[in-house]
Amino acid sequence: MGGYGDVQLLRDDGLRLDGRKLDEMRPVSIEAGILPAADGSAMVTHGLNVAVAAVYGPMEAHPRKIQRQDRAVIDVRYNMAPFSTGDRIRPGYNRRSREISKVTAEALESVVLVERYPRSKIRVEIEILAAEAGTRCAGITAAAVALADAGIPMRDLIVGVASGKVEDTVVLDLDKAEDNYGQADLPVGILPNTGEIAFLQMDGDLSPDEYNLAMEYNFKAAAEIHEIMVDALKRRYEGGEN
Amino acid sequence: MVELVPTLLRQELARLAEADQRLDGRGQWEGRDVSLEVDCLYNAEGSAKVVMGKTIVYAGVKFELRTPWPDRPTQGSLMCGAELRPVAHRKYEPGPPSPESIELGRVVDRGIRESGCIDMESLCIVPGEKVWGVMIDIHVLSDGGNIFDACGLAAIAALRTAIVPAERFDVGEDYKLKVNGTPIMSSFTRVGGRYIYDPSEEEELGGDERIHITLGDEGHLHSLQKGLRGVFTPAEFAEIFEVAHQRCADLRTLVANQEGN
Repeated sequence: MGGYGDVQLLRDDGLRLDGRKLDEMRPVSIEAGILPAADGSAMVTHGLNVAVAAVYGPMEAHPRKIQRQDRAVIDVRYNMAPFSTGDRIRPGYNRRSREISKVTAEALESVVLVERYPRSKIRVEIEILAAEAGTRCAGITAAAVALADAGIPMRDLIVGVASGKVEDTVVLDLDKAEDNYGQADLPVGILPNTGEIAFLQMDGDLSPDEYNLAMEYNFKAAAEIHEIMVDALKRRYEGGEN
Repeated sequence: MVELVPTLLRQELARLAEADQRLDGRGQWEGRDVSLEVDCLYNAEGSAKVVMGKTIVYAGVKFELRTPWPDRPTQGSLMCGAELRPVAHRKYEPGPPSPESIELGRVVDRGIRESGCIDMESLCIVPGEKVWGVMIDIHVLSDGGNIFDACGLAAIAALRTAIVPAERFDVGEDYKLKVNGTPIMSSFTRVGGRYIYDPSEEEELGGDERIHITLGDEGHLHSLQKGLRGVFTPAEFAEIFEVAHQRCADLRTLVANQEGN
């Protein structure tokens, strides 16, 4: 986390700089099936973040050394577009995107019924078009909707959400300033129906009580986003289009 | 999509061409509907989204301060690159930029650069010390055929809406980038023995060589490219050049309308 102390992140009236309450998340909207070339796809707009996910497969897993005899492997690529941030990002993989891709893949492998597709591969491509803190979570949410859109069986959807700490106060869903100058960030991937957690990262400083409150906020937000995800999938298939 | 499919597809495309028809019912020189949205990406200084049939492309413009090249101390620079990432189609593999994506970026780059729509001198802040580097990044999200035209259109539309972020770099006030002209690319693929405009994914799969023509506002040629295996005659070129000329005018109007001028 960035330097704390020099930037005011909570207003005198107790609200946050953008006017949100402590446990209020940024607006989320989701659209399923937006990419015609993909087997499944979704776009998630979470605050100012825009994440697009495409799913291809299940397909033959190659090279063969990545094959698993008893299940499918999920191959995730999280990538930020060069124009997605304030300063241009040089195209290509970096350490950050490799790590996020790895843990996201493992989270998705925890919810997809991978044992149904031995020796195969499911490709999940996450592209961040606009980044304002919280892109890995928006990416996970987009990936889950895209997997469902592709008709791939899952135990549950998975929702990416984060809480954190600014000015010694736990808040839900950090925005850019809060992420840069706050004290902690706790992004998780929640299975809303089973109440399990499949993705977990954290950095900063949280007391056990603060952790519990942050997690409580995360579960509350996950339930809200879950409704939006289900609604997007229903719209995709009830509308009669495609 | 191994070789068997294109063989059958080629036969079908040849049969249709014989009857002056196309798979999706379009005429030989008829393009798909184009939808253009500008200023649609939050962190880009200029941006555009183009949808043509099943093809979806985004372009974003970013600026950076740099030292000018020693032999051109009063000129800024322009760079345009395209990424054909695996998100866009089953056929694209992860890895370093493929020859296809490099060709795509460079053809779009040439059309914009050579049209002279950006005056490189206007990108100079302090001669010999500080100039703007303008970077257009094109992101193909869905390849449904003819990504060249979609990328060319997205790139120039994004550029034409770009705001130079001078305040953020502490070199004065933000201002609109001056762009003199709207170069437009038109692409043709030989399908069933004849050229067609704006090939779909199936037409590319079962077609032969392609030709890309970028024309400026005055109708001058600014970039040409022939790709893939095949040959063409001067008479064939004359015919598609005429079509390119007409289609350019429509697309230029579309860009102007989106900008609101």
